[in-house]
Amino acid sequence: MRELADRTGFTSEQIEHLHRRFKQLSQDQLTIRKENFDSIPDLEFNPIRGKIVHAFFDKRNLRQESDGLADEINFEDFLTIMSYFRPIEMNMDEEQLDRFRKEKLKFLFHMYDSDHDGKITLQEYRNVVEELLSGNPHLEKESARSIADGAMMEAASICVGQMGPDQVYEGITFEDFLKMWQGIDIETKMHVRFLNVDTIAHCY
Amino acid sequence: MFLLLPFDSLVVNLLGISITVLFTLLLVFIIVPAIFGVSFGIRKVYMKTLLKIFQWATLRIERGAKEKNHPLYKPYVNGIIAKEPTSLEEEIKEMRRSGSSKALDTPEFELSDIFYFCRKGIETIMDDEVTKRFSAEELESWNLLSRTNYNFQYISLRLTVLWGLGVLIRYCFLLPLRIALAFTGISLLVTGTTVVGYLPNGRCKDFLSKHVHLMCYRICVRALTAIITYHDRENRPRNGGICVANHTSPIDVIILASDGYYAMVGQIHGGLMGVIQRAMVKACPHVWFERSEVKDRHLVARRLTEHVQDKSKLPILIFPEGTCINNTSVMMFKKGSFEIGATVYPVAIKYDPQFGDAFWNSSKYGMVTYLLRMMTSWAIVCSVWYLPPMTRQPEEDAVQFANRVKSAIARQGGLVDLLWDGGLKREKVKDAFKEEQQKLYSKMIVGSHEDRSRS
Repeated sequence: MRELADRTGFTSEQIEHLHRRFKQLSQDQLTIRKENFDSIPDLEFNPIRGKIVHAFFDKRNLRQESDGLADEINFEDFLTIMSYFRPIEMNMDEEQLDRFRKEKLKFLFHMYDSDHDGKITLQEYRNVVEELLSGNPHLEKESARSIADGAMMEAASICVGQMGPDQVYEGITFEDFLKMWQGIDIETKMHVRFLNVDTIAHCY
Repeated sequence: MFLLLPFDSLVVNLLGISITVLFTLLLVFIIVPAIFGVSFGIRKVYMKTLLKIFQWATLRIERGAKEKNHPLYKPYVNGIIAKEPTSLEEEIKEMRRSGSSKALDTPEFELSDIFYFCRKGIETIMDDEVTKRFSAEELESWNLLSRTNYNFQYISLRLTVLWGLGVLIRYCFLLPLRIALAFTGISLLVTGTTVVGYLPNGRCKDFLSKHVHLMCYRICVRALTAIITYHDRENRPRNGGICVANHTSPIDVIILASDGYYAMVGQIHGGLMGVIQRAMVKACPHVWFERSEVKDRHLVARRLTEHVQDKSKLPILIFPEGTCINNTSVMMFKKGSFEIGATVYPVAIKYDPQFGDAFWNSSKYGMVTYLLRMMTSWAIVCSVWYLPPMTRQPEEDAVQFANRVKSAIARQGGLVDLLWDGGLKREKVKDAFKEEQQKLYSKMIVGSHEDRSRS
């Protein structure tokens, strides 16, 4: 328990809560599979539901050496993914903050980069936009496509500057991705805060 | 050998006497009042005594835990994470404001938009509203039933002794008593209604039938030691109306039917239930469906309409949620019963979980296990509110009417009014709901995009 707390940065109390939730999701099994996420009705609302669930099983997020998708994850992996959404603490220094931010951005990058090649190509970008806008039946594919193209052009201009007419922009690499977020305070947007409930102690 | 014989007969005699005494007591204190609808107030006294004991027990646990530095787990009714109350639009605007140097009035797609959805997704994975509703509501104080408390460990000798005593009383004294009562009640119902069924149709038959039903339901109420408080009895359902209530357990039927005379609606079962149902329908017209007919919505609607239009027939009792909910909220009402066009008499039922948890989690417990749990709880305390009748207004459709009735019930009973479908306990979300959120977001992006391309 102590070791988990150190590694992921959650307090023991928070780990207890998450463990209960894990048990509820996994229906008392030791691991969770993709199907277990189907039991959360609120998640259906979310247009990028597929990508979020996918992110849980993505080996790059699980800090494993290999690539690809895991079939099932245990509680430790669950905590690892959740730790990407920890709020920043007051006592973090510059270096820690920077690392923290990089990790959160890396999580997002993996969400966009679905073929794991380290670059967000135009196709992948379009994919994300289409999914986000997929709820609207009146939206034609063309509109979604043009929105994605427009946004991609802007991204290119930030990263590479003015391109010549025959230059082809391959895709957004992670460094470019980082550049785009400079100055934007994402750490405060990408976290989930635990409620401060007072207990007498925690349960074993 | 010699000495055993007189001892033997002594034991037999004692047994005989105690059984006779027990039955006389039963008759005098329970069955006779049930027939006449009178109450001695024994159950109220019982309830007050129990409350005092529970308070003492809870204090003991908390004190004991502090002394020994034991962990105590407090259940969280409000969830474990802080969910932001801001809406989709506000959040996205804020994110863009903090980031780009572009003008604020040209919203278009940005990479940052994904944050909002990502975070919402993770929040719901951590903790969501609907799944919480389906597990039994967790208690704040302990009621000496180990099944409702996570903290039940060895805290002190006195507490354990009390708990042991409680178990003894519940299982060895209350349980047989209740089973005997239930048995009496059900057999009286079956025989009574069959006998009444032989009479020719007329005022006499109706009168007798009503009283037989009421008497037997009252006996069953006492069999469960249900302490019910009825409010606003002047709004009780009348002939030709439909009575609608929220559903927590199969006991709801007994609770409502012991105070009013209703026609039941349901599927014919086999076994004991089937026998009871067939007997009941001899005395007065209930609406029972064969299993095959239940799927046919038009047939169901037609039969209900026929019944309702005949003013001499009794009000129908229906539970529109379709399944048992854990009594902290009211879920979506199925619109079938609201399409019929009769006057609807809403009824709110709220159980007090301190004495026994009445929620039937049908995926966890079977019917028999459930009944046993009910009969070995201390008591079932609930309040019933009869709300004023409602009719469907010309400009609203069945779904809106159903929602209106549902809010009235939820408000009265102090339950949370949820839009979710009770069927979610077993199935998945209907596609219509999924689109709402996505439509909103795409409207934001596309609307502006079209403006831009036009200008």
